[in-house]
Amino acid sequence: MTLILDKVSLNIDRHPILEQISFRLPIGQSLVVLGNSGAGKSKLLEVVAGLRSNQSGKISYDGRDLGALSPQERKIGFVFQNYALFPHMTAEANITFGLQARQAPVLEQAKWLKAVAAELKIDHLLQRFPAELSGGQQQRVALARCMVLRPEVLLLDEPLSALDAASRERLALLMKKIQKKYQVTMLYVTHDHNEARYMGDQVLVLDQGRVVQMGKPEEIFSRPVTRFVAHFTATRNILPGRIRERCGEGGALVEVAGTQLLSTSFPDWGEDVWVCMRPEHVSLIGTVSENSDEMSGETFAKTSGENLISGYRICQVIPQSGAAVLIELMNRAEQRLMVFASSRRIEDQGLLVNTEVELVVAARHVHCLPRQPEDIYCRPE
Amino acid sequence: MKTSGFSVLMTLVVLVAGLFFGSPFAALLRSFVATDGLAQLLDRQVLVVVATSLITALLATGLAAVVGIVLGYHFTFRKQVGSRWLKTFFSLPLVLPPSAAGYMLLLAFGRYGLIGAPLYQAFSLQIMFTMTALVLAQFFVITPLMMQAASSAFQQVPESLVKASHSLGADEYTTFVKVLLPLSRPVLVAGVITAFARAIGEFGATMMVAGRLKTIPIMIYSKAMGGDAGVADGLSLLLVLLSFLVLLLVNLLGESRR
Repeated sequence: MTLILDKVSLNIDRHPILEQISFRLPIGQSLVVLGNSGAGKSKLLEVVAGLRSNQSGKISYDGRDLGALSPQERKIGFVFQNYALFPHMTAEANITFGLQARQAPVLEQAKWLKAVAAELKIDHLLQRFPAELSGGQQQRVALARCMVLRPEVLLLDEPLSALDAASRERLALLMKKIQKKYQVTMLYVTHDHNEARYMGDQVLVLDQGRVVQMGKPEEIFSRPVTRFVAHFTATRNILPGRIRERCGEGGALVEVAGTQLLSTSFPDWGEDVWVCMRPEHVSLIGTVSENSDEMSGETFAKTSGENLISGYRICQVIPQSGAAVLIELMNRAEQRLMVFASSRRIEDQGLLVNTEVELVVAARHVHCLPRQPEDIYCRPE
Repeated sequence: MKTSGFSVLMTLVVLVAGLFFGSPFAALLRSFVATDGLAQLLDRQVLVVVATSLITALLATGLAAVVGIVLGYHFTFRKQVGSRWLKTFFSLPLVLPPSAAGYMLLLAFGRYGLIGAPLYQAFSLQIMFTMTALVLAQFFVITPLMMQAASSAFQQVPESLVKASHSLGADEYTTFVKVLLPLSRPVLVAGVITAFARAIGEFGATMMVAGRLKTIPIMIYSKAMGGDAGVADGLSLLLVLLSFLVLLLVNLLGESRR
């Protein structure tokens, strides 16, 4: 029971838009397609929905070849980026449009309309036109319009991008709830890494029409395979480094930013690497202590599995949502590090701008990826 | 603020243009009052001509609306190899001299014409110099107008709405009837009104195929040439008023759309 895309490619006006896209998604799971504008995310959804006719490759759902079916025959719901509600129809007419097009019995139309409207809490909005609805309400109507058709696959094209923060949160929760409740297979397009993390059972990173990486969110976020993925998933600390020693037991010593870090995630070949550390994985433990020189960083790391980083001063403290702050640090060589901390901790420890601090990052959170792009995909002879 | 030379020049051009474009209307009004054009309009012969013009223009507009919308849809949504050439071909009557259009229609539908001859031989059907010919001539000239109006109307409908309709299970016909037509209605109505105005004012092509029949423009021409200024004044003013009303309606539709 899987949605399978096998080497799906799409050219428009002879330009490759999608190249050899392949993945398998178990039915009932959600896949977030993450990528820049122009990466081909929306086109990928259109291909799955059957709205593009000139693609190559195979698409199947539960063993059924979708390529042989028209959009009308595929049981697919599509929520468009701008919701694409019909402006001349009421919310109710929008929702029942698909049922009428599929010639569903009138009684069934009414039953499903009522159920979906109650589920999405839009009963009171049914007689309004799209122009009379807020962005969040329009989004709910667009979702209802799809859900009323009981789709096997739900395609969502940046459904939250036009909403304010509060509505985004509410609707993300709602969509996740609905997806889980009805066990609908979902393809969710976004360029927002936070949404990707929350909405996806799996995440697929798309760059210039190609799949760069696909996996569980935690894998994508903590083990990006390219610098692009690392950058796109907000790994703010991407530093050039060099593997000095592969020490066995799955560890390597990496020289980075004038210090040596122990990493348990590194390529088997190549010396030049990008060292990726997510800001939330680097802990600020306080000001430089008198005992910090007693044990070398290397020994400390090898014994504790934690890397001690010193020599950085606070440059600026940037408030984030909630009680978190993002701290920008810099060492003497003007290399930057970004770390998250709680604002309370900053206050309690009196960490002001220009204070020299010590940081700790676990070896498993120091992720190295080959600096040469070709090293990622092919191992030298 | 100091008045620049450029500003003076602009004002001068506007004034001269106003005088130039205003003078024929002023002259028409003066002549209409002098010749008692209103009374001439009530003449039975004139009324028949007005009725002929209205009936043929209405029929031609109805036909052109249907065919123009279909062509507009085709060239907007069903682009194929050679579509651009074909669209240019269908647009030709827009720029073709109307007399040439009329002459070509004669060659095609005349008793010895490409299509007219077999029709005459098989059914003794004569198209030229009948009301049908007038309708055909007007239809030939205004269909490209309607096609272009429909094209631009359909292009204004966001592509995502068409895709949404298809993804919801609507076929091409349902999408056309339930989504495209209602959303493009104002532009289509404006197109129909403009096409009707063009049809009722059509002269060159109609003249070539009319025979003894007369439409308003043909009668204006023949009366003006024959020195019967009263009828020419009355009918001209009627067309001016009609054209003014049409433009007003189209503008109003445009404003309501915004």
